[in-house]
Amino acid sequence: MSSTNSPIMNLPKLSDPDTASAMFEAVRSVAEQSFFAVAEPGDERSFAAQAAAVPSWLVATVRFEQGALQGSVACTMPTTLARGLFDAFAGRDPSEPEPGLELVHDLVGEFSNMVCGAWLTRVASSRTFTLHHPSVESVLTPRHEGGPRLLAVIDDTPVAVEVTLKAEPQHEPSQG
Amino acid sequence: MRILIVDDSAMMRAMIKRVIKLADVNVEDVLEASNGAEGLELLKQHDVQLLLTDINMPVMNGADMLREISLNPDRWRNLSRVIISTDGSTVRREEAEELDVRCYLEKPFSPEVLRDVLNELADNEFAETE
Repeated sequence: MSSTNSPIMNLPKLSDPDTASAMFEAVRSVAEQSFFAVAEPGDERSFAAQAAAVPSWLVATVRFEQGALQGSVACTMPTTLARGLFDAFAGRDPSEPEPGLELVHDLVGEFSNMVCGAWLTRVASSRTFTLHHPSVESVLTPRHEGGPRLLAVIDDTPVAVEVTLKAEPQHEPSQG
Repeated sequence: MRILIVDDSAMMRAMIKRVIKLADVNVEDVLEASNGAEGLELLKQHDVQLLLTDINMPVMNGADMLREISLNPDRWRNLSRVIISTDGSTVRREEAEELDVRCYLEKPFSPEVLRDVLNELADNEFAETE
């Protein structure tokens, strides 16, 4: 029987060291394999210092679900990094015209999609999730809901990854 | 050989097309679709030998498209199917085997890995038909 129909279990949160480590490995593998970029662990202090100098950011959010378990992975990165990743991914020569914002959004969405999928494969490989099309928005400063987040540095540029989990209450079978 | 790429990311489709050009395969045409429903329509309209598809897409996902294809085994007997997806779960991989998928490529992947897959398919599956 497929484990797709197994009882819902909560995913571990980013506050769990193993889960955070799995997320960093997901970010690192995506950065290195698909974008030829170098990813290193970051921390709150250096993130804040570097972030202060960044004028614009892109946030790409990928929602995922398996039955009642729903969540999202949001990757926040400077627009300049997104454009650099675009060039690496698309093989764009600097002499070619700059890509439009729509394509850059698509690129950051795919980055988040890959990070989300790679992370879920690491922390819940026996289950299959539905991943929704990414939503991407431009912001002036990175948002932080206050919960644990993974901070990384990609090509010397700060990146933040937040995971939101929401498990809807299960209906208990009626008693008696 | 005619190839169909089905992925909801235009950037991913462009990247795959770039790798196809680098691979040592004889390609007549590369078609693109952004979801399974569009992919099925193109398959009905064109003689396609290789399908490269994502799983998680809006409108119709890749698994549902592959199920539709498997309902007509005679019609698409010569269609080689490759999944390119972020979903690396064991459940999805087992499902892919049942859907006659030749190769399951997990994102992220380097362009060289996809190029090698294309070259291997060209050597093993398309050499006889060309």
